[in-house]
Amino acid sequence: MISVFARREIYSGFVTPLPWIIFSTGQIVLAWIFLQVIERFSSLDAAARQMSLTQELTLNLFGFAAIITMLTAPILAMRMFSSEFRDGSFDLIAAAPVRFGSVVIGKLLGLMILILPLCLLPALNALLLIGTAELDLWQLAAATLGLFLATLLFAAIGLYASSLTAQPGAAVLIAFAMMLLLSIIGHAKTLTTNTLSLFEWLSWNEHLFWFLLGTVRMSDLAYFLLFTLFFLLLTQRRLVNRRL
Amino acid sequence: MYTLLRVTNLSHSFGHHPVLSEVNFSLERGEVLGLLGSNGAGKTTCLRLISGLLTPTHGQIEIQGIDLVKHPLRAKRHLGYLPERPPLLPELRVDEYLRFCARLHRLPNRRMTIAIDDAKQRCGLEDSGKRLISALSKGFRQRLGIAQAILHQPRLLIFDEPTEGLDPVQMRALRSLIRELARDCGIILASHLLPEVQAVCDRVVILHQGRICFNDYLNDDKPIYGWRVQLGTGSTLLKLTALPCITGAVAIGEDRYRVLLEDGADSAQLAQQIMRAGLHLRELIPERTDLERAFFDLIGVEEGQ
Repeated sequence: MISVFARREIYSGFVTPLPWIIFSTGQIVLAWIFLQVIERFSSLDAAARQMSLTQELTLNLFGFAAIITMLTAPILAMRMFSSEFRDGSFDLIAAAPVRFGSVVIGKLLGLMILILPLCLLPALNALLLIGTAELDLWQLAAATLGLFLATLLFAAIGLYASSLTAQPGAAVLIAFAMMLLLSIIGHAKTLTTNTLSLFEWLSWNEHLFWFLLGTVRMSDLAYFLLFTLFFLLLTQRRLVNRRL
Repeated sequence: MYTLLRVTNLSHSFGHHPVLSEVNFSLERGEVLGLLGSNGAGKTTCLRLISGLLTPTHGQIEIQGIDLVKHPLRAKRHLGYLPERPPLLPELRVDEYLRFCARLHRLPNRRMTIAIDDAKQRCGLEDSGKRLISALSKGFRQRLGIAQAILHQPRLLIFDEPTEGLDPVQMRALRSLIRELARDCGIILASHLLPEVQAVCDRVVILHQGRICFNDYLNDDKPIYGWRVQLGTGSTLLKLTALPCITGAVAIGEDRYRVLLEDGADSAQLAQQIMRAGLHLRELIPERTDLERAFFDLIGVEEGQ
């Protein structure tokens, strides 16, 4: 049943112009950053270079791609529940013999497949340099994994926000607010003692940073997966509570 | 016939606002039940509860003996639901949408094509398979909504305002489709159109302020048409029944009567005879059908309002 929802979301997504506009705009922005990184790197003397080219690419290109997916996920997610509540088409699913868990996972899967090209774009851009520059492919793979996991979290937040309201615009704003909170919460550590790093741990960008450096840590994997699961469970509960 | 749907002590509240209270009824296979009520009477809430879209605050719903709250997946397999607004996916084509609905109801691939063709044929959508749903007219959308509800041949069909947006020809076709479907399943139909309910339903439940105030079978006899008459002061039932065109009359208030006319007699004759008899005619209005009268009497709306 999961695949039924995933396929439906992928098909419905690609017949609308939205994903195509997002991918082309994303590629234009990423290509601009890619060229800037190359130009800045090649203009420096070998002695003046503080980071390798791969590191420059992962921190700038992949870091910016994460911002793009953060902005994109709620926009693509808004039609998954919000629009269906508004149009009344969710009644079709609610009256069918399906579990809400399958609906949520199916829609997340569909959403991830819709955004996947955006997660792969930075790596594809970087791979253009193979043969002309020395690249650390493992670091690129780790950065791609980090970007994918961060996007998974954004998609889960987008889905949860979408399940909260029948107004798609409001769903996008709610998702942005939640992600903004998770982005800046790391700065709250300055308000507390230096040893207490809970706020820092809650911030997604702190975890993505390690992936971009090429380090895959269990704690970072656990952060993304646990938070994704948390928002998916909230979405499922929200759908169940709509029946009350 | 066996009990397809049993609703026991069904109550539902939105917050502290009760919408349905102690609703009890059952539906047998082969039966068409009409759910009537004014706006806000609780019809749609009742249908949404029976289709599993809402969870009752109190009470029990059994579909083919399966408790809908305890075993929703098993119970919903026997259910086809057309909400007030057809639940369509505008970006899909008709065939793609019906295929998605068939998958939702776990129809095996080998049965899917036959089921889709059958549903399209029954709803007059044979030539619309490739059309985009967003480009369909309101009538076609309604037909597609009906097609998705009957696609998996459910035992229980729930139609909320199914004639909405249909032209008279389509309404007649839907009426015969409902009678045809009722051979194998039970149907609940909510509508504002009293003649429509009277034409197609075996039984009627009238809801008022969340409670059932009428639950009975409709007689096969043709509805009796009569006239309501208001006369000047001093009139008597005896004087009225003495008029030659009247076969029977009952007093329904002070100087107010319900009268039945002889075959062939009309209101003009009645008015003339009343005037000749020296009874002052103040009001002469046609009597409504049984169901319509029952509906207005039960919900407490005075005639003429």
